[in-house]
Amino acid sequence: MTAIDLERRSPRERLLPRFVAFGVIVSIVVGALGLRLFQLQVAEGGHYATLADDNRMIIQSTPSARGLIYDRNGVELVKNVPTFTVKMRPADLPFSKREEVVGRLARLLGLESADINEAIDRNPGSRFDLVRIATDVPEATARLIAEEHLVLPGVQVDAEARREYPLGPLVSQLIGYAGPVTAEDLERLRDEGYLTDDTIGKAGVERVYETELRGQYGLEQVERDAAGRKIRVLNEVRPPEAGGSLELSLDVGIQREAEKALKWAIRLAGLKRGVVIVINPQTGEILAMVSLPTYDNNQFARGISAKEYAKLANNPDRPLLNHAISEQFPPGSTYKLVTATGALEDGKIGVNETIMTKAFLTLGRGFRFWEWNRRGWGPLTIYDGFGHSSDTFFYQVAGRLGIDRLAYWAKQFGFGERSGIDLPAEARGTVPSNDWKQEVFGQPIFPGETYQAGIGQGYDTATPIQVLNAYAALANGGKLYRPQIVRRVLNADGTVAREFEPDLIRDLPVSKSVLRTMRLASRRVVNIGHTYNLRDLPIIVAGKSGTAEFGLRDKQGRLPYHSWFAAFVPKEPRPAAGDPKGTRAVARTDSELAVLAFAYDSRTKGNVATEIVKYFIQIHYKVKRDLRNFDLLKRGNFYQGN
Amino acid sequence: MGTMRLEPTRVQAWAVKSAGAIWKAFDAQLVIYALLLAIFGLLMAYTNSAGTPLAAGTTFTRGLVWLALAIVAFAVVAAFDYRWLKTFAWPLYFANIGLLLASLFLGDGVGGVARWVTVFGLQFQFSEIAKILMIVVLANWIASRAPQRMSGPWTIVGAGLLVAPAMILVLMQPDLGTSLVFLAILAGTLFLAGASIRWLGTFAIIGMAAMPFVWNYILRDYQKQRLTSFLDPAADPLGSGYQLVQSRIAVGSGGLFGKGITNGTQNQLDFLPVQTTDFVYAILAEELGFIGGILVLGLFVLLLWRVLLAGWRAEDPFALAFSAGMASMILFQVLVNVGMVIGIMPITGIPLPFVTHGGASLISIAIGLGVLQSINLRQVRPTW
Repeated sequence: MTAIDLERRSPRERLLPRFVAFGVIVSIVVGALGLRLFQLQVAEGGHYATLADDNRMIIQSTPSARGLIYDRNGVELVKNVPTFTVKMRPADLPFSKREEVVGRLARLLGLESADINEAIDRNPGSRFDLVRIATDVPEATARLIAEEHLVLPGVQVDAEARREYPLGPLVSQLIGYAGPVTAEDLERLRDEGYLTDDTIGKAGVERVYETELRGQYGLEQVERDAAGRKIRVLNEVRPPEAGGSLELSLDVGIQREAEKALKWAIRLAGLKRGVVIVINPQTGEILAMVSLPTYDNNQFARGISAKEYAKLANNPDRPLLNHAISEQFPPGSTYKLVTATGALEDGKIGVNETIMTKAFLTLGRGFRFWEWNRRGWGPLTIYDGFGHSSDTFFYQVAGRLGIDRLAYWAKQFGFGERSGIDLPAEARGTVPSNDWKQEVFGQPIFPGETYQAGIGQGYDTATPIQVLNAYAALANGGKLYRPQIVRRVLNADGTVAREFEPDLIRDLPVSKSVLRTMRLASRRVVNIGHTYNLRDLPIIVAGKSGTAEFGLRDKQGRLPYHSWFAAFVPKEPRPAAGDPKGTRAVARTDSELAVLAFAYDSRTKGNVATEIVKYFIQIHYKVKRDLRNFDLLKRGNFYQGN
Repeated sequence: MGTMRLEPTRVQAWAVKSAGAIWKAFDAQLVIYALLLAIFGLLMAYTNSAGTPLAAGTTFTRGLVWLALAIVAFAVVAAFDYRWLKTFAWPLYFANIGLLLASLFLGDGVGGVARWVTVFGLQFQFSEIAKILMIVVLANWIASRAPQRMSGPWTIVGAGLLVAPAMILVLMQPDLGTSLVFLAILAGTLFLAGASIRWLGTFAIIGMAAMPFVWNYILRDYQKQRLTSFLDPAADPLGSGYQLVQSRIAVGSGGLFGKGITNGTQNQLDFLPVQTTDFVYAILAEELGFIGGILVLGLFVLLLWRVLLAGWRAEDPFALAFSAGMASMILFQVLVNVGMVIGIMPITGIPLPFVTHGGASLISIAIGLGVLQSINLRQVRPTW
């Protein structure tokens, strides 16, 4: 093409190839867009349709009503009350506004900003899951927050049910509480349908019977929008089934009596911790279990603040712990039941054989093992040795029995193993033996340690429930039952879903006559005057006190000690004509009430546990005469007067 | 001087035109395709005005008002002789720069972006009208160049110098997308109007070589993220990739026939943000399916044909360059907007002409089409 040709062609024609090229570009662009559209919509349309459905449809759990809890007489121990909960979906709260929103929310709720921030940061789920900020919000506050939703992005107010415990601290150690799930809980339980804003039993029977109480959450398919708000229910996959209710063996009346007796002693003797347990020896049913100090489970149900929780957690007397089962102490002289029963059954002593008691025994290079009264009583039979709680008597019995046989018998009585009570966090206790010491200290037991073990000191430790359960087995003629606090699980309609039968751990391999001897010896403890005026009660009590030394000696060289008293009352508690001393009554195995009192670090003149049991029995059996011995609760040392 | 020879014939033709001839010269197709596209836009506004589409102030009613205004603007502009624009090219240019400066200083920010200026209570995005004004100025510049001089670099340099201030002002808003539209208009107009291919290529290569500089020193981090996240939206599905993932789901789940107007779950349940503006095509594809999506693309092809035809028929370099600018603008916006929605183009805030809800965009394009119609009315039909 020459320059002249170029000149001659009209400009239009010169541009034609460019217009054609532009047309080609248009075709390519639209073709590419169309092809891609075809790929997305036609070729892969099904895949994206599924994704769109996944976006909008989720399977959601619908909470079921949590089961209720009653005592054995139908007294309501927990209620579900309607409450307002403030929740937050962190994904809907822009980070830049977080400080402002949290601050505003804190003011409205009367909380610390730090608590709210912590709740958000410890959110166990994704940013799209709801986090519980505050529970039990007053209605007026809830309305205010709901109205201010425009300036509180991500915050929502829900109406839901929460637990209310009408009796609070009286039974909180047993009932426990249900509270918000933690990240750790959720890790375990997400597959079982637990939600991030779910409630779970955290202590007591609320925890142990979580499955029964929770019921079966329903499932529904819901349509939601991008913010996660529920638009509508598409279909109900499974309806929720209300949780079962629990009927406890607990008798709130007896619980009150036990608490009253314990509180009285705590107040008077300045005790820091104490336990009273009442059990039915025929069944292993717990009738009362008081552990003080305690806490109000309503605090947890409402949502406890970090400050309140720290106060409970840092209390040296551990109010959150059920001392009746979760802590172990030297059992002291109550353990002589094991030593005596074992020696009688093994034939190491005869029923009428006497053993010399004196001020002290000497072992090895002149090491002295003292009688508790530093005098002794001369020759004693098993009845009087047990009755006076003679230490020199039982040193010798333990010596004859040997540590391993002693350990064998202790285990038969349930020491050194968890009783299996249906409450969480039970301690195991310690039963020393040669093997045990070899394992722990790499040495065999020394003879002196066998002496100590024979009187419930040294390495021996036990929980109050273990001690009481041993005496319950004595009272019922040799059946060691697993203690139980729940009698029945009831369906939502009131029918019985599950009945708890007495659960026998073992028949003690002890002859009836040996056990009868020990019951009579237990009665001798009272009748001999070892427990002071307990014998004056019009109610037949048999049992054993214990004074268990622990810790470090004071300036006078005396050790602090815990007081124990484990006792049982025959079915017919009042002395029958012809049985003024009640010996025939305790020879029978029909006791339906065994009781234990434990006083931690009781720096009193007398055995405060015995006084607690005495006062409990006075109240329980409505004894007119008040035999409480106030003098024994004065500050002092048990050993001082003896 | 080919153009000189053409002048008298054109004036002559104008003089003999009767009313019937004017009507014959009117391009009804151009109007019909544009109206159909605008109706798709209204449909999308309707589906997004959930519940009460006819209440005052909804996207739908506002869309109706804007469409009415756009039709008026189109009619008025078409009635005027477009040649007046040549006379006013320079004042228009400075008005244009002034508008962009005003946007920059008076603009209402959405997340630090100064794009909208509120006039009489209506938010107006001046950069939309700036695009049309820029096409006028550009066409005037190209038309003033003698054909022989088109073979050198200076036509291109001059055009670039004209567009650069506007581009920089838009980039400062910051509105990367619109500045890219300016670039597309510049390139497309120069190409179709006959600028030197060799020099166009040279400048394109220089431009590409400057890309690393632009990337490092001019683009902000979020802009880079938006530009690259379409390559792998799943890398940050809750952040910059979220819209892309949700948009793809919306389009894909629409299938062949779509879910039906107001039935798009991605739309109605708000899974897809900005469903009335930048991502409106995703909703269109979700609710009207592949059929609807292709129909809209087809309408754009037909519209482009009528736009280019108007310029081609006109024996006037200005008219040709103007239609070239309009076609380039529309094609680029369709490519970038639809491409973004279906995940083959980066995220930029470029509206889809007619369909995206927005008064400025619709009225600006109506004015542009008005100019094209005025060109049609004032030409002699070529014999071929």
